[in-house]
This record gives sequence, C-alpha cells and structure tokens, in this order.
Amino acid sequence: MATTACFIIVSRNDIPIYEAEVGVAAKREDAAQLHQFILHAALDIVQDLAWTTSAMYLKSVDRFNDLVVSVYVTAVDALPFNIGLDVDVAVVSKEEWTLLNPLYLPGSRITSSHFDTKVRALARKYL
Amino acid sequence: MANFLAQFQSIKSTSDRLVISVEDVSDLWPAVKPAFEARLPFKQGSLNNKTRNPVLVEKLPAEFILTTDSRLRSRFPQEQLLFWFREPYATIVLVTCEDLDEFKTILKPRLKLIVQNDEREWFIVFVSRAHPANDKASAMAKKVYAKLEVEFNTKKRERCCKYDIHSPESNFWEDLESKIMECIRNTLDKRVQFYEEEIRKLSEQRLMPVWNFCNFFILKESLAFMFEMAHLHDDALREYDELELCYIETVNNTGKQRDFGGADHGDDQAALLNPGNKALTQIVQDDSFREFEFRQYLFACQSKLLLKLNRLFEVASRGYSFIISFSKSLALHERILPFCMRETWVVTACLALIDAILSNYNDGLMAPDIEKRFFHLLGDLYSLARVKFMRLAYLIGYGTEIERSPVNSAALSLLSWPKPAVWPSVPADASAEVLEKEKVILQTTSRTKPFGIQRKPLPLEPTVLLREANRRRASLSAGNAFETFDGRQGITEGSGFDASTRMSPSQKVPPSSIPRTNSSPGNFDGSIDRPMRLAEIFVAAEHALKKTISSQELLKSLSSSEEFEQKYLELTKGAADNYHRSLWKRHGVVLDGEIAAVSFKHGHFDQAAKSYEKVCALYSGEGWQDLLAEVLPNLAECQKILNDQAGYLLSCVRLLSLDEGLFLNEERQAFQSELVRLAHSELKDPVPLDVSSLITFSGNPGPPLELCDRDPGTLSVTVWSGFPDDITLDSINLTIVPTSSADEGAKALQSSTPNVLHPGRNTITLDLPPQKPGSYVLGVLTGQIGQLRFRSHSFSKIGPADTDDFMSYEKPAKPILKVLRPRALVDLDAAVSSPLLTNERQWIGILVRPINYSLKGAVLYIDTGPGLEIDDSHVIEMETYADVSENDDNKVQKDGAQIDSLNYEKKVERLTLHNGKIEFPNWASDTPSIIWVLVRAMSDMLSRGSSSVTTRRESIVDAMRTIALNLEFGVYHNQIFERTLAVHFTYPFYVTTRVTDKCNDGTLLLQVILHSEVKATLTIYDAWLDLQHGFIHNGQTEGRPSSSLFPLVISPTSKAGILFSICLGKTNGEEDRKQQESILNIKYGISGDRTIGAHPPVMDESTKVDDARQELIFKNAITLQRPVLDPCLAVGFLPLPSDGLRVGQLVKMQWRVERLKDLDEKEVPEQNDEVLYEVKANSGNWMIAGRKRGHVSLSPKQGARIIISVLCMPLVAGYVRPPHLGLPDVDEADVSCKPAGPHLVCVLPPALSSSFCIPVNS
Repeated sequence: MATTACFIIVSRNDIPIYEAEVGVAAKREDAAQLHQFILHAALDIVQDLAWTTSAMYLKSVDRFNDLVVSVYVTAVDALPFNIGLDVDVAVVSKEEWTLLNPLYLPGSRITSSHFDTKVRALARKYL
Repeated sequence: MANFLAQFQSIKSTSDRLVISVEDVSDLWPAVKPAFEARLPFKQGSLNNKTRNPVLVEKLPAEFILTTDSRLRSRFPQEQLLFWFREPYATIVLVTCEDLDEFKTILKPRLKLIVQNDEREWFIVFVSRAHPANDKASAMAKKVYAKLEVEFNTKKRERCCKYDIHSPESNFWEDLESKIMECIRNTLDKRVQFYEEEIRKLSEQRLMPVWNFCNFFILKESLAFMFEMAHLHDDALREYDELELCYIETVNNTGKQRDFGGADHGDDQAALLNPGNKALTQIVQDDSFREFEFRQYLFACQSKLLLKLNRLFEVASRGYSFIISFSKSLALHERILPFCMRETWVVTACLALIDAILSNYNDGLMAPDIEKRFFHLLGDLYSLARVKFMRLAYLIGYGTEIERSPVNSAALSLLSWPKPAVWPSVPADASAEVLEKEKVILQTTSRTKPFGIQRKPLPLEPTVLLREANRRRASLSAGNAFETFDGRQGITEGSGFDASTRMSPSQKVPPSSIPRTNSSPGNFDGSIDRPMRLAEIFVAAEHALKKTISSQELLKSLSSSEEFEQKYLELTKGAADNYHRSLWKRHGVVLDGEIAAVSFKHGHFDQAAKSYEKVCALYSGEGWQDLLAEVLPNLAECQKILNDQAGYLLSCVRLLSLDEGLFLNEERQAFQSELVRLAHSELKDPVPLDVSSLITFSGNPGPPLELCDRDPGTLSVTVWSGFPDDITLDSINLTIVPTSSADEGAKALQSSTPNVLHPGRNTITLDLPPQKPGSYVLGVLTGQIGQLRFRSHSFSKIGPADTDDFMSYEKPAKPILKVLRPRALVDLDAAVSSPLLTNERQWIGILVRPINYSLKGAVLYIDTGPGLEIDDSHVIEMETYADVSENDDNKVQKDGAQIDSLNYEKKVERLTLHNGKIEFPNWASDTPSIIWVLVRAMSDMLSRGSSSVTTRRESIVDAMRTIALNLEFGVYHNQIFERTLAVHFTYPFYVTTRVTDKCNDGTLLLQVILHSEVKATLTIYDAWLDLQHGFIHNGQTEGRPSSSLFPLVISPTSKAGILFSICLGKTNGEEDRKQQESILNIKYGISGDRTIGAHPPVMDESTKVDDARQELIFKNAITLQRPVLDPCLAVGFLPLPSDGLRVGQLVKMQWRVERLKDLDEKEVPEQNDEVLYEVKANSGNWMIAGRKRGHVSLSPKQGARIIISVLCMPLVAGYVRPPHLGLPDVDEADVSCKPAGPHLVCVLPPALSSSFCIPVNS
C-alpha cells in the first residue's frame, strides 16, 4: 500500500491547476518538488500515450524508481489530465467531477477549500 | 553432459553454414569445384520456416564438402543425431560416363548403392566432358544422360541434371540451385520435425526430477542454430525466446539454491552483446546454468539475431527491459556480488547497448513513430547509465560536482544505496588518500545561491551515506536487527528510503550538513568498530570500486573529477539529445539544464544562460512553479554576469511573481531591491520590461463609470502588486481602449495618485480627459521605475489568491468606462411665451431645466440683443420651477429629484449679474429653475393704429428682441450650452379706428377699438385724443370721453371701444398744422403676473411708493383721413383696348384727371393751373415710353378735365399691376381714384412671330 501520494490536475496547457499531497507517510521536505518533477516529466509519456488508446484511465504510465504514475485522461477541457502518484486516480477523478463548481472558469487554478477537503477525503478513502 | 556441451559449443563455433556434400563418383570435383563454389552464397532461396510457410531467403551461405572429407567421415552415429544440424543438407552425386555399357555395368549399380540411403537428399549431376565440336562424343553423352534420367528420375521428382564443362547450358545453374534448394528445404523440414519431436518429448518430462535443462538447451539451441544457419533468424529468435522463458521458469521453480555467478573478474562488464564471452562449460551448474552468465548469454544471442534482422528498436526496447530486470536480479544477489557490481554492470550494459545500436543505426530506415520511441529508449538508456554513474561518483566523493537539481535529486534520492554484505573498509595504507579527501571535503564550499536564497539544497542521497556505510559495517560485526530488516527490503526491491526514514529520522541529520558535522566520530554510536569518517568512506569505496571495475574506460572516468565531469557531460548530452529527438521535450530540456549547470561552473555563462532559458521557458510555460523556482535564480545569475540587464530584470520579475510560499520574504525583498537598484542606478538606457505576472490590474467591480460626452472624470483602478515591499514608481499610466472602433488607438491616462504601490491591493485614480462616446476597456498598464519602463497586460481577478500569471484563458473584457453619446444635458427656454410690455421694465423668465445632469457651479452668461437692455440694477431673481402639468405626466418616469419637486419648498434667491454672468446657487443644480432678468425693450416707434377697414399689418420682427444665453456647466465648466431666446414685446393695446357715422351736421363719430395685446388685465383710467390738423373735437369734451366710463377694465385679449366725437374743422394754432397724425393717449394700469406674461413694470426701489396706483401712458398714432366723398380731384383709369394686352405690344394707358370742385383759394399754389403727375410702374413688368413725370395744365374750375396718356409696353405675361398715376402735389385724401384700390390687368404672352426687347436691368 502506498504511503505517500500526490495528486495533480493538469489543465489543457499542461498547467497544474490543482495539487494535493496526500498520504500517511511522514512527508519528505522536498516532496513537493520531487513529485512535481516526476509528474511533469510523466506528461511526456502521457501526451504520447493519450492519443494511442481510447482508455481514459492509464494505469502505471510511468515509474520512477518506486513511484508509479497513473493518469486519468478526461474528455473535457476543464480537467484534461488527472495525474497521480500511487493514487487510484480513476476513482478520485470520477468523483471529483461531481465536486466541481459549475461556474469554474476552465484553465484557472482550483483554489476552493471545499474542493480540496473533498479530494483529500476521497484520497483517504481509497488510499 | 558437460562433454556434450563442450562438443556442442565447439561444433557450433566451427559450423556456421549449411553443408552440401559432394559424392564425387568420377573424380570430377576438382574440375567443377571453382564453378560450383562461385555460385555461393545462394541467392533467392525459398525455405520453409517452423510453421511450414515459405520464406524467401535472400542470401544463403553454404559449403560444398566431399563425402570423403574427414569432417564428414569421422562422426559417430550418435553424434550425428545429436548434432544433426551440422550434417549435409544435400548430396550432389557427380558422375560422368562416355559409354552406355560402362553405365549399365559399372555406374548404374554404384549409383543405386549410393542413393539407396533414404535419409539423404540427393541428386545427380551428370558432367559431360565432350567438346561441343566433337559431335560423336556429344551424342554419346546425351545418350548416357538419357539413360541416367530414365533410371533415376521419377514422376514426382527430377533428380538429374547435366553439366557441360565446356559450354554449360543456360539454365543449368538455375536448375542446380533449385535442386540444391529443394534438397535443403526437405532436409530442413525433416530435421525441424525431428528436433521439435525431441524437444516436445523433453518438455513433457520437464517436471520430472531427471529433467536436465542442459539437454533441453542443447536441443533447443541446435534448432535455433539450424534456423540461424538457414538464415531463418525470426525462427531462431523465437527459439531463444522460448528457451529464455523455459530457463526463467526452471530457475524459479526448482527452488534449489543455485550459484548466481558474477563473481569472476570482468563480470562487472556487461556481456549482453557477446554470446561467446564465456564458454558454456564454465557456467554450467548441475543440470542448468548460472543465472548471471546464462541470461546475458541468451540476451546476447537474441540481440545478435535482432541486429541481423536490423530491428534496432527491438534491440533497444528488449535491452532496456533486460537491463532493468537484470539489475533487479543483481540487487537480489548484491550481498554476494562485489561492491557496486550492480551499478557498474548497468553502466557498462547501457553503454554497450547504445554503442551496438548506434553502430548499426542508419537514419531514415525506421517509421517516424517507431523512431520516436527508439530515441526515447536511447534517452532512457543514457539516462539510466547517467544515474548509476552519478551514484558511483558520489560514493567516491564526487558528490560536490553533481548539481543538486530536481532531476538529479529525484533520480538519486529515490535510488537506494548499494547493499553489500559489508561496507568496504579503508585499506591500511590509505591514510594519505584519506587526508587528501578530507582536504577536498573541507575545501569544497557549497555554491552560494544568488540573491542569498536560503533554500535547502535538494538531496542527492536516499539517506545519510555516513550512517548507511557505518551501519552496514556495524551490522556485520554486531549482527544487529537492521540486517534482517534490510534483507527483507532487499528482496522486494523496496524503498530503502522509507525504511531508513523510519529508522534514522533525517531531520536530526540534515543532508546539507553531512560533510562537516557528521564527520566527527563522536556523533555516531551503536557500533563496535570505530565508525568511518566520510573521507574514509569515500576512500574505501574508491578502493573497492577499483577492485570491482574491470573496464579501464570506466575506471578512467572515475579517476578524477575532471574525467568524471567529462563522462557525466557525455551521458547527459546523449540523454538530452535523444530525448529531444524523441520529442520528449520535458525530459530533454531538463537535462539541458544539467549541461547548463556544468557550463556555468566553468564560466561559460553564455551557454549556460541559453540552456537555463529553455528550462525556465518550459517550466514557466506550463506553470510548474516549484521546479521553476529551482532554476530561475541560476538563470538570473547568468544574466547578471553576462550583463544582460533586460533579461536579468525580467528574471527578477519572474522570481517575484512566483508563488509567495516558494521563497522567503527576505529573498523576495532581495529580488525587489535588486530590481530597484538596477532601475535607478545601473541602467543607462531605458529598458522595457513586461511585468504582467507581477503587477496586475482590474477595473472596480460594479457597473462601469458613466460619463457624458465631453465630460472629464477620474477613473479608479485596482492594481495588484506582487512586490513584497512598497515600491515607488516614477509614473503609472494606463491605457483605455475603445471597444467599438478598432482603428482608434489606445489612450494613455496618467495616474494622479502618489505612485507608491503597496504589496497587494492598491487603488489608483486616473485623470480622465473627455473621451469620445463609446465603451472603453482597460488596455495596458505602463509605468516607470528609474530607467525601467514596465508594462503589464494582465487583468487580475478578484482577490490575491488569483494573481496567477499563467492563466491564459480569455477573460471577457469588461468595460470600465462608458462615455454616453452626446445628448441634451440642459434646456434653456423662455419661461413665458406671451408678450411683455415694450419700453417698460419687465421680467424675462429663463427656464433652466437640467436633464439628468447636475448644474452645480454652472455659470450663465446673458447677452441682450439690439433693442433690449438689462436693467441697470442688474437684479436677477432665481426660483425653483414647479411645472405641475409636466410633473403629472412624467412623475413615473423621472427620477427622484424631479418627482419630489412638488414637495420642495419653493426657493427664491436674488442674485446679481456680474459682468454679464450669473453663478448658479447649489440648490438649482438638479432641479428646474427660472431665472428672472429685469430688462427693458427699447422702441422709439410710436404705436400706430390702423383703420378697421384695412387689415392689420403686424411685424413680428419689430416686436421681437433676442437674448443670447451661454451656460457653462459640468465639473470643469467643460459643457457649454448656448441658446438665443426670442422674447416678444408689445404695446399694451392695438388700436383700430373707424368712423362709425357721419352726421348731418358734419360730426364724425370716431370709434377707437382697443385690443388688449397682453395676458394681463388692463385698466384704463383716462383717454384723450390729440387730433391732427383738419379735425377738431366736437363740443366741450376736449377730446375725452365721459369720465364716468373710467376706469375701464379690459380683460386679457379682449377688446374695448371708445367713441370720440370729432368734426372736420380747422384749428388756428401753428402746432396743430404740423401735426399730421392724431395721437390717442391712454392712461392705464396693468395687473399681471410675470409668470404669465406682461406685468406691472418694476419700480425702482427708490421711487416706489407703496400702494400707489401705477399709471402708465400709452400713446398711439392714428391717421385720420378726410371723408372720401370730398375729394378735389378724381383720377380714373380708362379702359384698355378690348383685344387685350400682349407682351411686347405697345399700349396706350390713359387716365382721366378731373377737378371735382374748385380749388380752395388758400390752398392753391402759385401755379394753380398745373398739376404734377407721376406714373409709377414696376420696371420689370412695364416699359414706359414717354414722360413718367410732368406737369399738365388743368383749370382750377370745377369740372375741368384732362386725359394723361402714357405709352407702355408690358414685358411679362400674366396678371400684373398696371402703371399707377399719382399726383404727388395733391394730398392723398383729396384724390379719388377709380378703381379705388390696386387692381390687375391681364397681359397675354407674345405672339410667336413678334420680337421684343427686354430692357437691361440696371
């Protein structure tokens, strides 16, 4: 069972619009940097892979030592990539759709604390 | 078994091609050998693969061997079966015979004997040695060959062919090759079948205890080798794949503890491309092989085949997977392997694979898609080698050379330390080296980050090396509990990091402080040996590595920091290039950053800046701020050194615009002070800078500011400053852009507020000059700090959390300013439409009606036109105007101020006119008001009455006066409203007269009718008539009506009549003689309201008497005419010719002048018998020939008459007035005309042929 996980939503222009470090392990000091780096690099693979398959959930697209990257590619502009380390991204992503504010402006950062709380709760549930 | 293995390997090494045996029956081989061998290798052969499908083999190498050759003769039958693949695939029987008898008796039985062995695939080549010129011999050879064919050919298969040594038939070689190929094919099929059968049999026994993998291997590889010899590489590869699967299964299933291998010298160098690296006999172990060597052997065989097939992509992909999986296997056996064997092996394996691939690579042969993946695999290989190489370098103390960047940190900090059984210890004689290392460690100072950034360096190690190394040494001595734990971790290839964080909390030993603080032995406890210091660990690792590493090249790369750096650069560049070629820009660019770091270290700042820019562009373009924060300071440093001021400033701005949490406040302040310092001191020329990410702005929420046309205003804009401190700007400008017309450029507005931006939200106000009507949106914010010209295009959203500069979505531009179309803002009108009294001081009311616009501070300039003057007192009254009717109608629509106007207390204020202008009081700014101006309309003309017979000839213009108004209003008196009002003035009465009756006694009753001209009640107190010459009052009334009539009240616009009794008569007074007109004097009073019209004239304050009746005098001139029936002369217009007048035709106009009565003696002038006449005609209508004016003689006696003729010619057709004969000397009243009034005559158009002259108009 994974003890640390990072969950990032990436917008259409590969911009991270939401980021959550979840997990039960003691957090490394440079975890944010590390996870960002790994997930950012994984976008190279995702952009290749996303167009070759009709599947939305791309499990384990990349590994970085022990960290596994999974991606949920959506068909909407608002949340194109949900990319996560050691998270069951598919479940989180599906539920997260229901959380999104209908007035959300595509491309802008998700800063809603409500959304954040819900995502973290979801992550705890499935982690 | 080992014997077979050795034999098998030797056979394999000697036989690399298919063998075709030659049965040389007639000793012909030496003669034909050159020709036969020239055909090798065979081209375009068709063979069957394992699934019996035909495969075209383009080049098939083979060898002809005589059956008598020792290689074929010395084999035992058992061997033959086992190593069948080396047996001949075809047998050629070479015969010749020149005699039929010999054939029958000798050759035929011999051949039968040879070919009776069914196992062999054979055919006969009949060699004819007959010369073509020798017909007889040729014929004989043909005969013998025919016999041969009959004997050995069957219906199914032809087994004979004929070869003429001197002149081979054209199709012989083809025939020969096809026959050989047929034999090979058949043999191959047979043998494949055999091997398959054998393999199947062995496979079935696989789970039995007797099963021996080596036997299976020999069979399987024999088959594979046979395929390889037959150039059926695909099939060979498949056999090896199956063999590998079977091997892994065997290794995993048997559960036997086997020797892994890899302990020999040189094993650290990967042999994954060299199948012959070690003899199979060396690696055999019981019934199987050692995993370390054998898996490499299998991969080498596979890769060899793949390279032959030119499947480079597959080599790369299989190779990468193999290295990864093999590395895991090495990790499992790390405890028994030499120190860092795994890392060394991976580095050499990657490099060997890359070399092999690149040496076989030809550009353009792969499909683009495959090529892309191929390059990213190469990039992965380089990257893998790079990481392991860095790990090795770190262990021997080159950690300080490695940039602590995200990529290196991510790669190395997640990679667990090597787990040798025991960590190498320092050799006894290495104290000098330890000292040296110690010195290097002490000398090394970590590079200070630019701007004094205090950020903790990223870790390059999973846990503290010092602790790990000492723990591993201690565990051997003490056998502590860590050991068992680590063993378990090692098996699952688990995260060493997690384990060690739990055991040795990193917060106690921060990675950045490894070298100094932890190098003292006192910090470590829990071991029996003296713990090693870091320098010792490095030296120990170096010595151990020198033992492990056999590759000289790798050793050299690790021999010094320079060599390390060179190799490091080579690997990094290799990885970056290949990632770029595979379009994995993120991977590639990140590694470019690593190259940049090296360039930076060596002072190649230009190169470093270029690469760093690429990295920064990637991260900032995609908004990964944590990563950007790591690289951007480096870029800034480069730019600073390169004196790239614009770039450096931009980097400062970008640093400032990163998330606040990424840098400490002091660091951010340092960025700002750097920016300010540069802007104010160092820059010589102005530098433009885009600060869109740092300073954002937005209009205020709510509806846009609305301005009327030509109104200036102030615009309030919210500006978000991302600076950590207050920043003073030299100026701030903001452009506004009209939304409607694109051609109209943006307009810059200057801020009027102090130019200090506080961190966060600021409100600045901008002076807004009058704009054209339309909507405006915010454009660009520009400003200046010292020599720095910054601009920002970025609209911010509400709230500081959203000041994200990476949001590139299109924000609908909300208009911030609306300038309304020109409209009436105010209306000036005359308050009263009815006329006022001329020559009296009257109030003119000017109605000022603001239309939803404030008139605060408005100034009204009043200028009177001719005939009107403002009273000297300059008194102005202003009062609120409450138009009841209008309010009733518009109550619902108008705004509050107007609705409630009725409720207002009516305000009246007395103002003074200064220099022709009035300043509006404040109360009048929103409500309609009336300004009363005291004026007097001047008129010198006497009012004239008219006869009731004639119609009134009114001249409105005479009675009109104009008053020019100019209202300046608006905040800056920018709005101007001009209007000229026409005010109607009038006399109180209009007088008409009529003689109502003429009495027998000569009394004339003159009725004077007074029409009231004003909307006011007039009261007549007295009236009298000063008669003109020729008329006298009748009786003693002196021209006054009976006093009992007065006061006579005349309601507005009604009439009153006064009757005067006069008679013709003569007065004696001289003055009366001169008086040509009678004057009607009326003393009257007026009671009216200025809000309605004429009103009592305003009295001077000084002369005003309370309650005094205000009496005014109205004088009116009346012209009395003598009675018409008493003329002296009569002028009659004589009828015109009956045929009418025609244009251009002369006509004689005739008037008859007749004296009606004797001339009064007194009135007779001296030449009384002469009458002056004058003909008046419109010169445009008539041409008069003859005298227009002259005297005619007329007797003064009554009845005297004369006819005056004038020749005229009409010039225009139509009804025109004829010429008129007047008598200037005679009073009009003494002349009776006929017809009495003006009349018209009809003039016909000219006859067509007639010509006429038109007088030239002078």
